Formats: sequence, structure tokens, C-alpha cells
Amino acid sequence: MAEVAQPAGAAVAVRAPAGVRARVAANRWMWRAFLAGVFLVLFGPLVILVLFSFNDSNVLAFPLEGFTLNWYSVAAQDTLLKESLVNSTLVAFIVAPLCLVLGTLTAFGLTRFRFRGRGAIGGLVGAPLILPWLVIGIAALMAYGRLDIDLSLKTVIATQTICTFPLVTAIVSAQLFRFERVQEEAAIDLGCSRMQVLRYIILPHIAPALAAAGIFAFTWSFNNFEISFFTIGFQQTFPIWVYSSVRNPDHTAVVNAISVVISAVQVGLIYLAVRLLRRGGAASALGIEEAK
Amino acid sequence: MAAVTTAVGRPRRTRRGVFGIMFAPVTLLIVLFLAPMLIMVQMSIVKYPPDVASGYTLEHYQTVLTDPINLRIAWTTLFIGTTSMILMLAIALPLGYYMVFRAGKWELFILLSLVLADELAPVVKIYAWQSILGREGIFNWFIPGPPVSWLLFSRFAVVVTLAATYITYTTIPIYAAMKAIDPSMFEAAIDLGAGWWTQARKILIPLAAPGIFIAMILVYIPMLTDFVTADIVGGTGSYMMGQRVRDLILSGGDWGSGAALNFVMLVVSIVMSVIAYWLARLNRIER
Repeated sequence: MAEVAQPAGAAVAVRAPAGVRARVAANRWMWRAFLAGVFLVLFGPLVILVLFSFNDSNVLAFPLEGFTLNWYSVAAQDTLLKESLVNSTLVAFIVAPLCLVLGTLTAFGLTRFRFRGRGAIGGLVGAPLILPWLVIGIAALMAYGRLDIDLSLKTVIATQTICTFPLVTAIVSAQLFRFERVQEEAAIDLGCSRMQVLRYIILPHIAPALAAAGIFAFTWSFNNFEISFFTIGFQQTFPIWVYSSVRNPDHTAVVNAISVVISAVQVGLIYLAVRLLRRGGAASALGIEEAK
Repeated sequence: MAAVTTAVGRPRRTRRGVFGIMFAPVTLLIVLFLAPMLIMVQMSIVKYPPDVASGYTLEHYQTVLTDPINLRIAWTTLFIGTTSMILMLAIALPLGYYMVFRAGKWELFILLSLVLADELAPVVKIYAWQSILGREGIFNWFIPGPPVSWLLFSRFAVVVTLAATYITYTTIPIYAAMKAIDPSMFEAAIDLGAGWWTQARKILIPLAAPGIFIAMILVYIPMLTDFVTADIVGGTGSYMMGQRVRDLILSGGDWGSGAALNFVMLVVSIVMSVIAYWLARLNRIER
């Protein structure tokens, strides 16, 4: 008898009065609706791109017309698009490694050394992250014009590099801050050379952050519109191709198709970056990355 | 000095070491970032830019700052930016609260979703809003009656799209600030009979205030200079400062006014970032 009654009794003891329970449930549903709204705002536009990339019409209008893969094959044959993708990839493949080297050096200098002017240099490194890209891009445009340097992919690479390597510095610094310097000192006390400290102590520790920072630098460079817009010559990068194509009604469906492909690749890359950062504790590094 | 000695042996080697490490990045920043800024400033005070021999003058600044068109554009930009900011705060404050105190194991997932949504398909994402807000877009498809046309190519469209674009950068500093709040504060408040509004007003918002201000400043800086959004979803009533500067220089070829206006925006941005930095240091959430 007692054994049967006990579970019921326990359940009653835990249960709140009906009014409170209803309020808690309503509360939970309100939060769910709110979150659904947030995710709709965040990913709704992307879902729409996917839908329209398979839609058998060149007009962005509801209701949808029918399924087609036509836009993907049109996109695959567009030479201007192909050129812009090659240009963006080329730029990103040059910018990302450059940023990785420059950004890591700067992170070391700023976190491992005390020297005069450190605050000023820290400010100079942080400035391209915070100041608007429009302002930086226009200043670069004027400087290249004034010095008679022809605008080309080279000028894009130059200006993108100084705007992106501070991001690497931020991510790598976050990792270096967490890293116990005692380990480096111990290695030196035990007779390691500086190269050995770098090779066996520091590099293994910051490797995940380096890889993640490299991927972020790559996507930043690949996605960059403002800087490229002002410092490019007659060529196009992919974001610039998109910008000029969305204003051309004949092109909209092709833009959707190629954007879906590029986004899928980027999701893969960013997933990789996040996995790597998680190995070294993601949240704080991401928090700093987002400080732009 | 002690820190230097323990880091890498003798101080003299250290100084040379840091010079070697920082030489390349700092030189590049000076040549490719600082020097262009100075050239821009020079262009803003040269009489007939880019001809430096034509003499120096401050008249571009006078023109730019007194032109009623610029003042109206500045007002439009501020209005759009602020409306968008209010919209973002209305989302970011509850979202930050949810992530820190309610989400549990979903916290990191939401954070990563914010980052991912920000990184994907930059220009196309803005243009996708055309198909949401347009005459034949989703909204008008669902809403019965004749199509509502002010949804797209209007201030409304720019406000909504800017908010959707910058929500990540608004939420993360607020989230970081709320992360530092002790959850037992809310328990104490509930025990003392506080409702959700009192909790938000007396605990959440005051304690997260520095993060909220930092988020506002960090988002205002790129948002007030944004020109892509207004280009793609904006209309005649939503001409913004970023577009104005771009058009002065690229279409108008007016380097003097363009540079002067650009310099004004640079100064505003620097002042705002210094305030943000100061706030962050004051509250030690910057690390």
C-alpha cells in the first residue's frame, strides 16, 4: 500500500499549483517563439536563397514556380562569374597566409613583451578592426591615386591584408593569454633554445587557434566587399560580382545558385574552424573575434 | 622589467627580439594604413585635389559641414541607425539573457549560429530581403489585400535589413557582459517578489550596461557608414552617409568634399571607439 502510494505522493509534492504550472509553460512557449523568430531572421534569407536557386523562374516572387537545376548549370558556364571566383580565391589564398604570419608575430610581440610604445602599437593594430571599412577603403583609394599606383588585385591584397591580420592577432592573443608562460620559462631553464621553445612548447599549444584564425582570415578576405570595392581595378572579386549582378534582373537566379554553393563550402570551413577552436576553448576567442 | 627578464633571458636581446617580431607588421600598418589616412587628410585640405601644388585651404570642411543636403543625409542616417539599433536591442537583450541563464547546453549552439549567420553570403543576404519585403515577396504573399509597397525600397527596409545584418555584433558584447552576472541575484529578486520587469530593470540592464554601450558603439561605427544595404533595399528616402561619401568620390570625382566628409566620419568613429575602449577597461570585460 505504502509502496504504491509513495510515487504518487512524491509527484504531488514536486508539482506546483496548476496556475504556476500554466505560467511556466506559457513562459517556455514564449521563449521558444522568440528563439524561432531570431533564427528566422538569421537564417530566413539564406533559406530563401536556397529555395529560389531551385525555382523555375528568374523573378524573386512568391509563390514558387517549380523545380529546376537550370540555374546551377547556367552559373557553371558564366565566365565572368568564374573569373571573379578565381580572383577571390587567389586573393584569399595570398591574404590568409600573410595575415597568419603577421597576425601571429604581432600577437607574440604584444602579449609576450613589455616595451615602450606598446599601447600605441596595440591601438594601431586594433584600429583596422574597429574603424569603418568605407573610411579605410576610400583613404586607400586616394593614396593609390595620389601615388600613381594602378588599382589591381595587388592593391586589394595589400589593403585587405592590413585590415584582416589584426583579426588573427585577436584570436591568437586570446590563446596566448590563457597559455601559462611558466611552461616557456621552464623549457628555457631546462636549456631549450628559443627555436625549440617555439617548436615544442608554443606551436603545439596555439596550433588550433592558428588554424581557426587562418580559416577566419580566409573567409573574411573572400567575403570582403567594401575594401575590394574601392581598391580594385577593372577585375571583379566574387562579392563585387554579386553586388553588380543583383542589380541586373537577368542574373538574380544565377546569383542565388552560386551563393548556395559558396555558402555550403563556407559552412564546412567555419564548422572546421569552430571544431579547432573548441579544442582550445572556443568562447573567449570567438568573443574577441566578434569585437569588430 | 622583471617580466622581460624572465620571458627571454637578457633584456637587451629582448628589445632586439621584439623589434624583429614587430618590424614587419608595424611597417605595413604605417605604410598601408596610416599613410593613406594622412594622404586622405591632405586631400581634404588641398584646394584642388589631387593637385597638391594648388595650396591649402579649409573650405572643403566648411562646404561639407554647412551643406544642408549633408545635414539632411546625416539626420536620415542617424534616424535609420538609431531605429535599427532600438530594434536590435529589443532582440539582443532577451537573447543574451536567454543564452546566459536559460539556454543550458544550447548556449554555444546559439552563439555559433550567430557567428555563422554573420559570415555567410554577405551581399546576397541583403538582397534576399528583397524577396521577403518586395511587392511579390513573402509578406505580401501572406498578407491579404493589395500589395503593401512601402515594405521595400524604403527606410523601413533599410532599418530591418541593417538590424538583421548587425544583430550578431550587437548580441555578443551584451552576452559577454551578462555572462558576468551572478544568477543568484535573480533568485534573490524572485524571493523578494520581483516580477520579470523589475528584474530586468533593476538587475539585468544596469549590470549589463557597459556591454550594452559597447555593443551600441561598435555597431554604430560600421552601420552609420554602411552603403551596401541602402543601395540594395533602400529608396530615395533612405540615402545614407556612406552612399554620399562613395558618390562624392566615385561618381562626382569631388575628392575635396569626399575626403573632408570621410575625415569627419573617421573622427566620429575614433571618438566612439575610444569611449568603447574606456568603458571596457573600466569594467574589465575587454580582457
